[in-house]
Amino acid sequence: MLRTPLLALLCTACTPEPDLVVYCALDQVFAEPLLARFEKETGLDVQMHFDTEASKTVGLVRRLIEEKDQPRCDVFWNNEIAQTVRLAELGMLATYDSPSAADIPPLFRDPQGRWTGFGARARILIVNTDLADPAEIEGMWDLLDPRWKGQVGIARPLTGTTLTHATALYSVVGEEKAGEYLSRIQAAGAQGDVNICSSNGQVMTLVSSGELAFGWTDTDDFNVARAKGRPVAAVYPDQGGIGTLVIPNTVAILKGAPHPDAARRLVDWALSKEVESAMAHSDSAQIPVRPDVSRPAHVRSLDGFEVMQVSYVAIGKQIAKRTEEFKELFVR
Amino acid sequence: MSRPLVALCLLAAGIAGLAPLAVMAARVSPADLATVLDARTLDLLGRTLALGAGAAVLAFAAGVPFGFLTARTNVPGAGLLRPLGVVPLLLPPLVLAMSWIVLVDLRGAALAILILAAGTFPLVAVFTAAAWERIDARREEAALLVGGSWAAVRMGFPLVLPPALCGASLAFVFAINDFAVPDYVSSLGPKFNVYADEVFATWQIDHADGKAVATALPLVALTLAFLLPALALRRSGSLATVDGDFRRPAPLDLGRWRWPAAFACAALVTLAALVPVGRMLWEAGGGAQGWSVAGLRGAFARAIELCGDNLAASLGYATSAATVAVPLAFVLGHALERARRGRLFEWALVLPVAVPGILFGIGTIVLWNHPLWNAPALRGLGVASFYTGGGLVVLMWTGRFLAFPALVASGAVASFDRRLEEAAELAGAGPIRRLVAIVAPGLWPSLAGGWTLVFVLAMRELDAAILVPAANETVMIRLFNGVHFGRDDFVAALALLIVFVIVTPGLLWSLFARRRMQVVA
Repeated sequence: MLRTPLLALLCTACTPEPDLVVYCALDQVFAEPLLARFEKETGLDVQMHFDTEASKTVGLVRRLIEEKDQPRCDVFWNNEIAQTVRLAELGMLATYDSPSAADIPPLFRDPQGRWTGFGARARILIVNTDLADPAEIEGMWDLLDPRWKGQVGIARPLTGTTLTHATALYSVVGEEKAGEYLSRIQAAGAQGDVNICSSNGQVMTLVSSGELAFGWTDTDDFNVARAKGRPVAAVYPDQGGIGTLVIPNTVAILKGAPHPDAARRLVDWALSKEVESAMAHSDSAQIPVRPDVSRPAHVRSLDGFEVMQVSYVAIGKQIAKRTEEFKELFVR
Repeated sequence: MSRPLVALCLLAAGIAGLAPLAVMAARVSPADLATVLDARTLDLLGRTLALGAGAAVLAFAAGVPFGFLTARTNVPGAGLLRPLGVVPLLLPPLVLAMSWIVLVDLRGAALAILILAAGTFPLVAVFTAAAWERIDARREEAALLVGGSWAAVRMGFPLVLPPALCGASLAFVFAINDFAVPDYVSSLGPKFNVYADEVFATWQIDHADGKAVATALPLVALTLAFLLPALALRRSGSLATVDGDFRRPAPLDLGRWRWPAAFACAALVTLAALVPVGRMLWEAGGGAQGWSVAGLRGAFARAIELCGDNLAASLGYATSAATVAVPLAFVLGHALERARRGRLFEWALVLPVAVPGILFGIGTIVLWNHPLWNAPALRGLGVASFYTGGGLVVLMWTGRFLAFPALVASGAVASFDRRLEEAAELAGAGPIRRLVAIVAPGLWPSLAGGWTLVFVLAMRELDAAILVPAANETVMIRLFNGVHFGRDDFVAALALLIVFVIVTPGLLWSLFARRRMQVVA
């Protein structure tokens, strides 16, 4: 009786050792073809592990932390920056000054060479043009405007880019104003005046289906609605004020990575202009951080709007502490 | 009973299910425990209790009549309605939520309760149906002679109530551990947070690993507080009234109430299972943008092209885990019922199910990626490569879900005539032979049911799938990535594929389970 299950167990127990292990938080649907291209170009066997944002899971960052004493991952390709800085602060990232990063602006490079940013998303307000005039919406405080009571949404700032955004506000508008803004959002959420959604993707879905007039999301989510022909527009918020937050992808090599040479090859490749351009031309419409990288017309240039001036290192250093505060505030 | 065999199975269950929890428990300090409960978290616990109670009460209210009508009466279509009634339990709750949120103008706690009740009423119905079927025809005939059908129902209800409550307890446990549904359905309107959100969020905070484990303890305690009474009901023998002289009763005649009863059952199945599946079919075919067969075909083709490998990986892991779990569960379930101190390890079997998936998943990676395995003396064991292989996924899911087939097997052993085993023993059959040749043939429908439970739960698992390397290829991750990215037709087609894969063995089990009484009797 035990023979069959034991055989089944043995059949699934062994996997061949890969040449490179990548943990990737960029949406699988975009990242997988890119990494497959890298495999084809280099002949390396890449083992890919992907994250998921839509569920309430504890994802790849937690796995990296738990594997710290015996790293399994070579390269962490994050679709945002704050958690990467957090890993750097925990002493988990190796130093590597990639030649491909030479022309990436210093804002998107760690001074100590532990991570590099590329292909970014902007935090925007997605507006349903049947329900609201985008010209009437200027920025973050519009969410609390009584005119839009019950018609606006934001993802709960406990994960992903919303968490990074909420953390960034503290360094940009100051402790008091950021605290007031988030407290008022929470209070309005408890009343149903502001809709606290499960993810940025859901904000996009609710706005594009007309259930909400506008809400916070990222440019990649916005582009999904745009490509489907939904009646939506993107408002790059707070132009003339604090500017629009831009959150780059980041790539980093783990300290003690099992395959360091292959890891460096991947980092060089990922930071190339070709890959950044491919990300801009994909459905995720990532904004190149280098002005001379080719992009389609619907992807804005970083020169084309006022970018929020933030220290990503400062955000990353704060993010764990802020998460605790946001948990106290929003999980109630 | 073979003590070495039981000890071996206990060891396997301990390694797969308890060792990851022990690793995590070691992180907790008294200071962590002291900070867990405050006014805010108590409030969350209160809401969670309300959510669980609401779902359990509704599941009880729907499941008891459904189980009774489809198992014991001449309601038209019972043969089809009964297996269809299991389908909602097999659907991922978030898939139910995704369907219902666009169909009803209800949000927040009320919708969460409705969805969780719709997804868990089959637990009550299955227990209720099985209990009605265990009532001996002679008892029922006596009641019929005295006072007709109503008297038969009144006679049977006290016997059916404990198992029905057992099902409701399980519905409660499922509901309080779900946080994706309350979060999703309160995306519009006032936010409805539950305690499981707290467990999840605490893991995001650095230097709070002990607290993160401690935060899960109230939920674990609440889960055990409802699971253990359910087990006590089973132990008391309330769930096992069949003996070797059992005679199956004839279906009760509902008279002019036959068709209204059939309509009520069909309505329940339609709302809980067919509407969500229909909604997904509509979305997969193009939905509001214009439904077409070509669109439907295209969505399925894309889902298979992009996620066929993931579906195959999930199928492989879930099938392997179920196949490994069932023999262990059979031995342990038998020992639970027959061994003198069998009950002592019942709680240990249940514990891995009672903890949140996040905790179990992290415990698994911490245990199996420990630097100790790379020590020169242990390197030869190959644990380092085991960590990245599918074997760890199979082991993890076996450990986490073993309790279900073990309890099912134990319940079936309780219904199994002990005299048959005693006769075989007198004839000289050893303990292993008695298990394999005498007990197993009588229990196979229950073992098939246990296999199905592990298979379904493993197919649906998400939290641990993110954390354990090889589980990252599973189809649930692709589905949730699709949900995030708003690819409606592709997501709907993929969800339907997953539902089909999950439901098929469940339906087969449901058909087999109907023959259990014949096999046992």
